Amino acid sequence: MGTDLPTLQNVTLTLKKGEIAVLAGASGSGKTTLLRSINGLIPHIYPGEYSGTVIADGLNAQETPTYELAKKIGFLFQNPENQIFMFTVERDIAFGLENLGVPRLEIARRVDESLKLLNIEDLRDRSPSELSDGQKQRVAIAGALAMGPELLVLDEPTSLLDPRTADGVVSLVKELNSELGLSVLLVEHRLELVAPIADQLIILSGGKVWKSGPPEEVLSSEGIHEVGISPPTVVEVQRRLRSMGRWPGSIDLSVDAFFAEAKGIWR
Amino acid sequence: MAHLLAEGLRFRQQNTIIHRLDPRLKLLISIALFSVALLTADLFQLALAFCAIAVPAILAKSLRRLSRVMVVSLSFAALIFVINLVFGYGLIRSSVLTLRFLAIVASTSLFFVTTSPDELEYVMRWFHLPRDFVFAFVTAVRFVPVLMLDLTQIIDAQKSRGLELDKGGPVKRLRNMIPVLIPLIVNALVRSGELAEAMESRGYGAVKKPTSLYALRFASRDYAGLVVTAAAWAGVLLSFRVI
Amino acid sequence: MAIIELRNVTFRQPNGVVALDDVTLDVNEGEVLAIVGGNGAGKTTLLKHLNGLLKPSSGSVKVFGKETKEQSVAQLSRRIGLVFQNSDHQLFSETAESEVLFGLRNFGFSEDEAARRSSEVFSYFELDSLRLRAPLTLSGGEKKRLCIAAVTAWNPDVLVLDEPTVGQDYPSKGRILGTIGRLIDAKKTVIVVSHDLEFLWPLGARTVVMSKGKVLRDGDPQSIYADSSLLEGAGLRQPQLVTISKMFGNERSFRDVADAVEWMARR
Repeated sequence: MGTDLPTLQNVTLTLKKGEIAVLAGASGSGKTTLLRSINGLIPHIYPGEYSGTVIADGLNAQETPTYELAKKIGFLFQNPENQIFMFTVERDIAFGLENLGVPRLEIARRVDESLKLLNIEDLRDRSPSELSDGQKQRVAIAGALAMGPELLVLDEPTSLLDPRTADGVVSLVKELNSELGLSVLLVEHRLELVAPIADQLIILSGGKVWKSGPPEEVLSSEGIHEVGISPPTVVEVQRRLRSMGRWPGSIDLSVDAFFAEAKGIWR
Repeated sequence: MAHLLAEGLRFRQQNTIIHRLDPRLKLLISIALFSVALLTADLFQLALAFCAIAVPAILAKSLRRLSRVMVVSLSFAALIFVINLVFGYGLIRSSVLTLRFLAIVASTSLFFVTTSPDELEYVMRWFHLPRDFVFAFVTAVRFVPVLMLDLTQIIDAQKSRGLELDKGGPVKRLRNMIPVLIPLIVNALVRSGELAEAMESRGYGAVKKPTSLYALRFASRDYAGLVVTAAAWAGVLLSFRVI
Repeated sequence: MAIIELRNVTFRQPNGVVALDDVTLDVNEGEVLAIVGGNGAGKTTLLKHLNGLLKPSSGSVKVFGKETKEQSVAQLSRRIGLVFQNSDHQLFSETAESEVLFGLRNFGFSEDEAARRSSEVFSYFELDSLRLRAPLTLSGGEKKRLCIAAVTAWNPDVLVLDEPTVGQDYPSKGRILGTIGRLIDAKKTVIVVSHDLEFLWPLGARTVVMSKGKVLRDGDPQSIYADSSLLEGAGLRQPQLVTISKMFGNERSFRDVADAVEWMARR
């Protein structure tokens, strides 16, 4: 696609229903291309050579038009500003449903539901220009959820947010996953934030899958720094201790769990 | 001056009777107002028609804003007047055309000042304008404040690199705009690309006739307003023909 | 010696919001200062007062002994170089080189002198490979480093970086940290504004914590970063190294992962 080397090579990925998968990789690793293949923007919108298949919930992404895929896959982008189209929050959430030709009463019902689910009922009549970044991100998620997808794909949703707001978005995603059984594919750099909620971590490098599996395994793998990934400090510490033979226990993803285990090991 | 015009025409949310009318009726009122000016060539009646626009303007608490817009358009009006004179149309005819121009400006401004972009969209959809066109309009209006913010940030960044926008002759000043315009345009293009992706992801184009959460519906005050407008319009025209 | 002095600076935005509330702060020559806080804390507003983009509603801002009110932005920028958060708001030239020459020309350097300084800065920051590339085709990290180089080229006494790591991946953040190191080597006074404490930790810089337009604390990073309630109140996330250090009851937080691993290996 515009270059001589293929952007993606032989990528095989499986996402289970109800699972939260985190996709990580340095820039240029092919993350963006992979995501765009999932929701159909490649090849429908972006031209290029394409081989292999992407099957999302039974639908072949290459053969299904983007708007059909939109019913099954909700896609959230990095910049919340560029995902809000309408003059009020309410109408923006309705936007996707209007596009799908959903009858008016049903639209109203789903809009109410989305507002409640994301705890933004008080923002119903507000204009997007009045909202904070965190609120905008919630509105965008509400708009995607209103369409009733089973898979939510989020492309670096926290990279432009400050720590507190980022935490809020990550907890929100976890909540949606546990309460609604929504499958999630999350692309993120800040692994210390998302590793604790991930069922599966996939690392891309140079257009290929470098490793995939449970986060504690992947993050403590040798050579992870060479592919441009920085494991959370707590994992890196355990990894090095383990390679010195000083950490017989399992790799913990949170500082609290690590401390608890350390107390046990070094008593 | 251009920004005074833009500022004057911007919708401001207010709770007056005029603002609360159905936007289609507001459009009709504006048309009724300037159609009167177009239908008469009598200077006195024209002046009356023009002043009549002040009535709904006052009801909409927008008289001051409208006057500011009018002051700005006075220069255009003067231009029209002079051009007509130069082409030999005589004082009366030139005045008629100038007053008609002012009446059109005043009544359409009244419409825009009292109608939110939201309502404008509904009116456009009601007229069955092509979906893409309406959406382009909505997007443009929605992103104006965003682009304005981008512009201030770009100007700040370039000023911090020593760019002085208020110095130098006209040629230099124009050249100084390049470091501001290029990032603005590039950012706008990138934005629109992202917006397009987001639109696709929300199913844009799935259905030929998208549905709508809200629909325009006449309330009783709108019917009343319609009757009043029709009566006033007819009454004015009749009295003009009589006088 | 204080080269920047803010005394009781209050700034009120046209919409009435008080973005800076009675801020008093000194910046000393040759120092490295980190200003931290969540979005909306007033950090960027503060920065804009340093080169005169904003003038205080009340209070005084003195740069090198002179009030900013009496100087133009161009005059102040000559000595205080601001690098804004969004590189895309600055880049417009055909080549990276012309981008650097732009600032130099604005500040009245002769063509020869400008060309000399431009080469110098490209090699100093190891960006020679980017010289003839079009800035708009560069990666996020490259753009950021180019912007920093472009501002350094006219040799301001103070370099101010506004959120240099937002949206950057891990390798890029490392390079930006390296770039800041080069600035420190060149004996510049450096001010970094960020909400990414993990990134700032290795700098060990004097830290000013801001929230809602006020300065909450100003001092040494060891004690500030260890104060969890302060950080939480300001919407910031404590670096894991510090959390781990505290959990194990250490008074001084670990400098880096190697430091932590060494200590733990001895247990």
